[in-house]
Amino acid sequence: MSVRLLQICAYALVLTALLPRRGEAASPPPALYTRSQALQGASAFEWKCASCHGHHLQGGVGPALEGPIFASAKSDFTIQQVYEFLSVEMPAYAPGSLTRTQYLDITAFLLRQNGYPAGVRALTDRIASHCTVPLLYRPAAKASPKVVKSKALAGKPLIVPRVNAP
Amino acid sequence: MTRFQAFLPRRSLWRIALSAVLLAPAAGAFAAGYPVVTNARLLHAASDNGWLMFLRDYTGDSYAPFRQINTRNVSGLKPAWDYKIGMKQGFEGSPIVNGRYLFVTTPKDHLIAFDAVTGKVLWKYQKSLAGVGLKTVCCDVVNRGVALYGNNVYMATLDNYVVALNAQTGKVVWQKQIKPADVGYAMTLAPLTLEGMVIVGTSGGEYGARDFVVALDARTGREIWRQYTVPSPGQPGSDTWPKGEIYQHGGGSAWLTGTYDPSSDTLFWGGGNPGPWLAKLRPGKNLFTDSLQAFNPRTGQRKWYYQYTPHDSWDYDGVNTPMITSLTYHGRRYQAIVHADRNGWLYVIDRRTHKLIYAVPFAHAISLAGFRDGLPYTDDAVRPAVGKQIFTCPSFLGGKNWWPASVDPATHMVYVPTIHTCMTMKGAPTFYKPGLPYLGETFKVVHDPNDSNWGALQAFDLDTGKRAWNHETRLPWDAGAMSTAGGLVFSGTPQGHLLALDARTGQVLWRSPKLSSGIIAPPVTYRVDGRQYVAILAGWGGATPIWGGDMVKSVANIPVGGHLYVYSLN
Ligand code: HEC
Repeated sequence: MSVRLLQICAYALVLTALLPRRGEAASPPPALYTRSQALQGASAFEWKCASCHGHHLQGGVGPALEGPIFASAKSDFTIQQVYEFLSVEMPAYAPGSLTRTQYLDITAFLLRQNGYPAGVRALTDRIASHCTVPLLYRPAAKASPKVVKSKALAGKPLIVPRVNAP
Repeated sequence: MTRFQAFLPRRSLWRIALSAVLLAPAAGAFAAGYPVVTNARLLHAASDNGWLMFLRDYTGDSYAPFRQINTRNVSGLKPAWDYKIGMKQGFEGSPIVNGRYLFVTTPKDHLIAFDAVTGKVLWKYQKSLAGVGLKTVCCDVVNRGVALYGNNVYMATLDNYVVALNAQTGKVVWQKQIKPADVGYAMTLAPLTLEGMVIVGTSGGEYGARDFVVALDARTGREIWRQYTVPSPGQPGSDTWPKGEIYQHGGGSAWLTGTYDPSSDTLFWGGGNPGPWLAKLRPGKNLFTDSLQAFNPRTGQRKWYYQYTPHDSWDYDGVNTPMITSLTYHGRRYQAIVHADRNGWLYVIDRRTHKLIYAVPFAHAISLAGFRDGLPYTDDAVRPAVGKQIFTCPSFLGGKNWWPASVDPATHMVYVPTIHTCMTMKGAPTFYKPGLPYLGETFKVVHDPNDSNWGALQAFDLDTGKRAWNHETRLPWDAGAMSTAGGLVFSGTPQGHLLALDARTGQVLWRSPKLSSGIIAPPVTYRVDGRQYVAILAGWGGATPIWGGDMVKSVANIPVGGHLYVYSLN
């Protein structure tokens, strides 16, 4: 199963490489996590991260974790880098203190908030730590129709676009 | 123009109005209201009526020769004026005062000019941080205040600008970016003005930056010199780094304002922790991280150095203020640097021989085990590695963090804000990526097993190296100290009380009513028309609630929000 997801990740990577970069993502984003992971992640985030990164991920003493400044071509973060960083070094007052599942759920939540669709397969440590797909913010309005109509989303837009001036 | 009417006596208004008509441009008409800050005034800032720079004067001793407010009458301190600023992040700034102008900076680089007597707002400025992610700012989005020169006021910003503004109008005169934002570098320090230059240093030891001190022309912003704290291959000190590119991410941040010794024409500036945190990744002493550096202020050439923590693996930045003073130790007179380091040791260094005079621990200190021939050595048993968790003291937050200590020439004491913390620390995988931290360690701040309190304000007799008094507190001591000729030490608490202690005994002589938030900033004092004032910013935040581990719980319910308070006798 995870092999499939790695393929999805790799496929997205190829597309990204082929399509011109215009600050925002142009390629269809891969579906790397499940809706339930993102929901679990939302509450874990609220509990363990929001005090510093904001209840709406808008930033506080820690940087914003959603939006065009966090996930930009200029930042040039990959999903792997962000996952590996946050699962080792966050939360700041007790780095590495969460469970693996919590870190994966939170990563799923960050993906959702930055415009990545949920899918049918769960994000695993193996996928997250190998997925070199760039993390690029995809505001709902600009998301490709494919994303919005994806089955996993079941017609419900999960992405609440927000412009965060930190 | 109306802005200034606020604080001018009414009968002079018509004269101002008249001269504004006669003199063009209008701003010139008010020049008399703003005392020009000359080199001479900066060199004699210690005796100025204002508070002209970060730690009052070039010695960095935060000592004022004012005695109107003193041990006998301090209990009569009353609010003179106050101003609610708001904002939920930490307020670490020193109010800077020149004549009747008082300047305060806030988190996220706002700057407010007040009338120092009435509290009237004269102007406000806000640095635009649009498009800035504040990604590489570790310890709250703070600013520690401004510097003054000529008719300008200078601020260093989180996106690495130095901004020069007209002190009377708040209009930007020039601004210059010394590094791009969000790729490892940021600035939170108060600049230092010296001989027509404005000097700043960068933060970034957590992000794989290669940090530096830079001097700009105060009039134009033109860069005069830039000195990196981590040498490139071939430069002196480069043999203390592994070969290859690692020096480019070697840290050595220069994130606190330095001091200046006119007698030897030397600029002193601390170097911060090396990067990445995990020392195993960079064998060698890693000069000039965690070091006192002595520069020629005209060229930026390094004259000498003293490394406080060799080959640091515990984030013991050496940036705490190198205070300039003289003292008598074992019958000998010394021109000294006094420095309370993050590693928990108080260093007293000879400014002439560049050698250690003595060092004493002021907090539980294990990582730095002792001294041989005046040079420190570390305990290898408490060096973390991947798969090896260690326990050591103090924590990476230090026996003392950045909060300015104060040296009182009357008591010959140094007053040291202290925290009692230890930590667990372990090696972890890391990779360098601009915009992300570069640590290679995980960690947790825990209680000092030898002390059930989180904090203390301590006094050490500089002539003996012995502790003179100790004011212990359940909560961490997170604020700067200031001493005065009135025999007082002022500092603040996380609960939001400004305190005045007897400089000789440590007895609390006055405690302000609970302010609207906790205090992490240093107090300042100034005189206008013969009246002495004490000013302090309240506004909880900073590093402790972010990185404080087990300490976070103890400070979790402190209300936030910035507020400036000014006190005087009735
Ligand atoms: C106590 C405050 C605090 C908490 C809680 C916290 N963070 Fe952070 N975080 C920071 C700070 C400060 C930074 C800035 C980088 C640094 O110094 O580590 C940061 C940086 C980050 C970054 C890098 C962002 C960038 O653009 O560089 C990510 C991702 C992140 N945090 C995720 C999390 C997650 C997920 C949690 C919860 C598990 C969390 N943080 C909890 C303070 C916090």
